[in-house]
Amino acid sequence: MQTFATERLEWPATARDLRRRVRELVAAHGVHDPVARANCWARPDPEFSRKLAAEGFIGMIWPKEYGGHERTALERYVVLEELLAMGAPVGAHWIADRQTGSLLLRYGSEEAKRRWVPGMARGEVFACIGLSEPNAGSDLASVKTSARRDGSDWIVTGQKVWTTNAHLAHVMIALVRTESGSERNQGLSQFIIPMDTPGVTVRPIIDLTGGHDFNEVFLEEVRLPASALVGKQGNGWQQVTAELSLERSGPERYLSSMALLVELIRYAETARSPALNELVGRLAAETWTLRLMSASLACKIARGEDPALEATMVKDLGNSFEQAIPELVQAAVDVDSCGPEDLGLVLCYLLQVSPSFSLRGGTREILRGIIARGLGLR
Amino acid sequence: MTEEQRLLADMADNLFGSLGPDACLERDWQAMEDVALPGLLLAEDLGGSGGSWEDALVAFRLAGYHALALPLPEAVIAAGLAGRGRARGTIASGVQGTIRDGTFSGTISGICFGLGADFVVAPCPEGGSMVIEATDLSMVSHRNLAGESRETATAQEARIERLRPDVFALGAFARVAQIAGALDSALARSVTYANERQQFGRALARFQAVQQNLAIFACEAAAANCAAMGAAQALARGAACFEIAAAKLRANRAVGIGAALAHQVHGAIGFTMEYPLHRLTRRLWTWRSEFGNDSRWAGALGAGIVARGADAFWPDLTALTD
Repeated sequence: MQTFATERLEWPATARDLRRRVRELVAAHGVHDPVARANCWARPDPEFSRKLAAEGFIGMIWPKEYGGHERTALERYVVLEELLAMGAPVGAHWIADRQTGSLLLRYGSEEAKRRWVPGMARGEVFACIGLSEPNAGSDLASVKTSARRDGSDWIVTGQKVWTTNAHLAHVMIALVRTESGSERNQGLSQFIIPMDTPGVTVRPIIDLTGGHDFNEVFLEEVRLPASALVGKQGNGWQQVTAELSLERSGPERYLSSMALLVELIRYAETARSPALNELVGRLAAETWTLRLMSASLACKIARGEDPALEATMVKDLGNSFEQAIPELVQAAVDVDSCGPEDLGLVLCYLLQVSPSFSLRGGTREILRGIIARGLGLR
Repeated sequence: MTEEQRLLADMADNLFGSLGPDACLERDWQAMEDVALPGLLLAEDLGGSGGSWEDALVAFRLAGYHALALPLPEAVIAAGLAGRGRARGTIASGVQGTIRDGTFSGTISGICFGLGADFVVAPCPEGGSMVIEATDLSMVSHRNLAGESRETATAQEARIERLRPDVFALGAFARVAQIAGALDSALARSVTYANERQQFGRALARFQAVQQNLAIFACEAAAANCAAMGAAQALARGAACFEIAAAKLRANRAVGIGAALAHQVHGAIGFTMEYPLHRLTRRLWTWRSEFGNDSRWAGALGAGIVARGADAFWPDLTALTD
């Protein structure tokens, strides 16, 4: 039994140059607050998104016809991992770049593609994902937000929750029940909903760190044209499932605590402690392994495969690693979470935000259930 | 895998599978020679196959998968390093002593299946490795945790040939590959057992606690395999000091989680001498510290990273592969 097909990785010849350009761009923009470098893909900075887009670093694998740059998946991967390792504030465009643009390119109407994708590639159009509802978290198939036909329009009513960046997004991709009376994952469709459509209301949800990522989104008789349907009516579940592989397979799934590891190394430089050196070594070994596993997902996706099982495994390993780093640092270093040392400040933030790592994008227990099924256990 | 690697894998899978943990050195070593396996890394002009470290990974991993009770990985490394294809060589993990005028005096420990070997490649106290003839060693034999033969030997002004490569690191690579294979095998056994064994009116596999544990186990086995592959690829490019340290650390961690979960899933039956799980887990446990435990590799890896400084960490990491 070999659950994860290992393969030799060939990095693109352009990698070194791409990394250098990303580092220069981020350095020029300046991310001076070390806490801001942690979990940086949750931090929106529209100005940075536009700068990044101007360099050709958003929509890298999309067709040029829609504003993309037709680069390879591994080139895109190189850019992403550099951005995350440097703690760049990529939160505003992250979702659009990672999945929404690709979703529209694959399933969207021509009108939707032309209207939204070029703007996403310019770092000007941001997206959010309308999936979870108050009664549909891990059990996504129990969504109740529904749409009914009215002439050639659709009228959408319902509520979404935990919608990251709904307060900044220009569009939401919503999973909606279009077949009245349908059960579970039958009769679902995806819609692209401009956030300024009448009937759309966004209310912030503040998390325990005081941060604002999450929102409630209320949809009250929201009227949409036929062109807002993404893909086939009734095919929503299959489309969402394919999107999940994209959502789960990126380097952000293991790099959220990278800023803390870097601060630990910085601290260890003057600490001269064999114990701290050993901790650094162990964390470096995990980082190295996860990078290989994450990169091999990019290779598989580039070949047109859908490594759903492998992506699930890497996400689970990655999330556990991200959560372990703050605990291990706190146990090994006598540092004050009030500061002034950067190590303490970054630790303070990550300790609090870390429970979300194994909740967002697929709760740990659900992921492990998926892996178990992949092993032939259910 | 290349086509050649697939052929190698098929051959090794069948052969190692038929021999497994009941293989006996005296009786079964010839079977290794018959298919020219010990010469896997030996240069072709010296009579070997001229294979790569990725080829070696294929063979070493399968040796671990089948809990092969023969020192094949050791012989392959020894032959490749010493450039000798004639008789069985092996490797050792420990050394204490001095070099003088091209001779070694001191103790060599952790010699893998030293009895009957023709020569030993051991770490050299002054760096790199040294080849030493078995006839110049007086060996005392022990059994390790897994019941395999490990020798300690003393030498008095024994002539040595010095080599640049680090046999300790290459031994660690072998263990990483074997760990990856053994974990896959233990996982497969555990999945089969969970699907077959019934309690409370249904298969163990139907219980979420069991499912979640096996999912964790599968992730660890995957990580160990990816680490092994990463190290093999790195060895093709150079000494791979960083990668071998990282891979051994990752594999060691996977041993702890995987071996424990394998025993948990199997219940008491897995704890018996009769049931073959221990053939894998006792090897896993011994391999976790052979050719470097966590402290050894974490200290070396960490000290190197800290010395380079925080801002070099990520650039250095990516430069390994670019």
